[in-house]
Amino acid sequence: MRRDLVVSVPAAAGAVALVSAVVDVLSPHVPVLALGVLYVFAVLSVATFWGTALALATSVASMLAFNWFFLPPTHTLQLRQGENWLALAVYCSTAVVVGLLAARARRRSADAEQRRREADVLAGAAADLLHGTPADEALGRLAEPLARALGAEAVRLVPGAPEPAPSERALPVRAGRRAVATVLVDERLPVAAAAAERLLPALGALFAVQADALEAEALRRSDALKTALLRSVSHDLRSPLTAILAAAGALTNDELTLDDADRAELAHAIRAEAERLNRVVGDLLDLSRLQAGAVEPHRELWSADELVAQALPPGDRIQVELDDVAPPVRVDGPQVERALANLIDNALRYSPAGSPVTVRVEHGATELRVHVLDHGPGLDGADRDLLFRPFEGEGSGLGLAIARGFAEVNGGQVWAQDDPTGGHFVLALPTAGAAA
Amino acid sequence: MTRVLVVDDEPQILRALRTSLRGAGYDVETAETGEAALTAAAVNPPDAVILDLVLPDGHGTDVARELRTWSNVPVIVLSVVGDEREKVAALDAGADDYVTKPFGIDELLARLRAALRRGEPSGEPVLELGELRVDLEKQSVHFDGRPVQLTPHEFALLRALAREPGKLMTHQMLLREVWGRAYGDESHYLHVYVSQLRRKLERDPARPRYILTVPGAGYRLVQP
Repeated sequence: MRRDLVVSVPAAAGAVALVSAVVDVLSPHVPVLALGVLYVFAVLSVATFWGTALALATSVASMLAFNWFFLPPTHTLQLRQGENWLALAVYCSTAVVVGLLAARARRRSADAEQRRREADVLAGAAADLLHGTPADEALGRLAEPLARALGAEAVRLVPGAPEPAPSERALPVRAGRRAVATVLVDERLPVAAAAAERLLPALGALFAVQADALEAEALRRSDALKTALLRSVSHDLRSPLTAILAAAGALTNDELTLDDADRAELAHAIRAEAERLNRVVGDLLDLSRLQAGAVEPHRELWSADELVAQALPPGDRIQVELDDVAPPVRVDGPQVERALANLIDNALRYSPAGSPVTVRVEHGATELRVHVLDHGPGLDGADRDLLFRPFEGEGSGLGLAIARGFAEVNGGQVWAQDDPTGGHFVLALPTAGAAA
Repeated sequence: MTRVLVVDDEPQILRALRTSLRGAGYDVETAETGEAALTAAAVNPPDAVILDLVLPDGHGTDVARELRTWSNVPVIVLSVVGDEREKVAALDAGADDYVTKPFGIDELLARLRAALRRGEPSGEPVLELGELRVDLEKQSVHFDGRPVQLTPHEFALLRALAREPGKLMTHQMLLREVWGRAYGDESHYLHVYVSQLRRKLERDPARPRYILTVPGAGYRLVQP
């Protein structure tokens, strides 16, 4: 306020002086009484910038100046002609009214500006939150416009309801009863309480809406995934069952004429499909156990040789390169073998028949690594992690998800590596000395 | 005719087993509870027993243990996938071998044949299996005619496996015999020693033909 006065009073005085000078210049050509109206400009300017009080003072000062400098007798406050008093009074009241109107316009404009600032805050928050920007990021962006809207120099906008620092004041942003964020302002800075009262609840409401929207989205995605899972599982269980029931039905149907070859074929079909069903059920159970965190590894010391030997399927397609000096690992043997067997099975399945699959063991300072390489199409950089999510591929692609699950439960990892020659998966396990 | 006692409480499985075993030339007797099994085995001693581990009146493991106190009859247990502990407990209690449900009949028949063939350990000092020759008395090992140097522990391990070729030796049995240790301690070196043995005795350690791993249970020395 004091600062304002230092500028405004001299400015008002200056305005009056300026108008007086103009009157002086024009007075030889125009009847001086008519020029009195020019002081309205001075009052108008002062009212626009500095409000009612100073405008009123300026009106009075203007009229005094007009009287002193221009109305005869000049350099006195007396008026020789009585009607000049009336004119003076009229000018004065005109100036006052104009001043009041201008001041009101100024206030209205300031109000509008304030509302605009508040609206900016809310619009900014809405745009961010409803487009899914994480709350923390949105809060960061709001701090500055919020400070402007609250008339403070700077504020901190933090999530939740932390304790304010000793020199700070806390204004909560609430959604319902919970404080989703808090505005922290230095104690010494003023904050427009009315603005805060208007703004903060609205902000809180926006945060609440975003939280709801995110929850709904998560639910929707979870539902979609569950539906896909169930559909896939249903298919993978029902297909072999259908084949089994069909074949068995044919075998037990008295009305059909089947020769030995037919019967043998049907019997083989039942067996093959039952084995397939067994595998799917086993995979599903393993995956459930892994996802439920119900897998307890029974750790023993194993060498890589053992683990690889157990995981190899019969046949010649696989080339093995063992590491003579690889240290042992402390893991659950059957579980790690399963992980490895799945990686090998995957490599065999997704590379052309007859093309070699290599299993190579090597080790680093604290890690044992088994590489499974094939000459199949490999992976396009796109989504390597997608491979390890169950059910993403056709045919209930659980093998990789299970491999990763068992590896992780034993303190290891499974990942897919970039390799121009084809598919390249790695199973890494901490060596017995290194593991905590 | 060789008689097999089948102990299982599920009628469909009993039926399938009875039909298959009869088809393979065996005489089949069945029992649906542990009590009935022990009675049948006592009254009419079978040549082999196929024993389900899950029975209405208790665990198959207890039946196996009880049976072992007065009989050396070969016992093959039917275990459930995922129930490793029960399976190993049954083996340690005296069962000779196992198949995991769901199993293929041919696998069961193969195990049955092997168990019947084994009978008593021969007591012969020299064992010859394919290219492997183990002289238990002289404590020497030859592979394809060439002598193989084994450390004392490695030899003890091989001897434990060689005493009854084809028989499943559980981890517990091997640990006790070679290291005199109980199985509870997990920091044993059994697997690592087997690995070393394989490197010395197998042409391709990644594809062992003599020393086979029985997952989650133990090891077996076989004729390839």
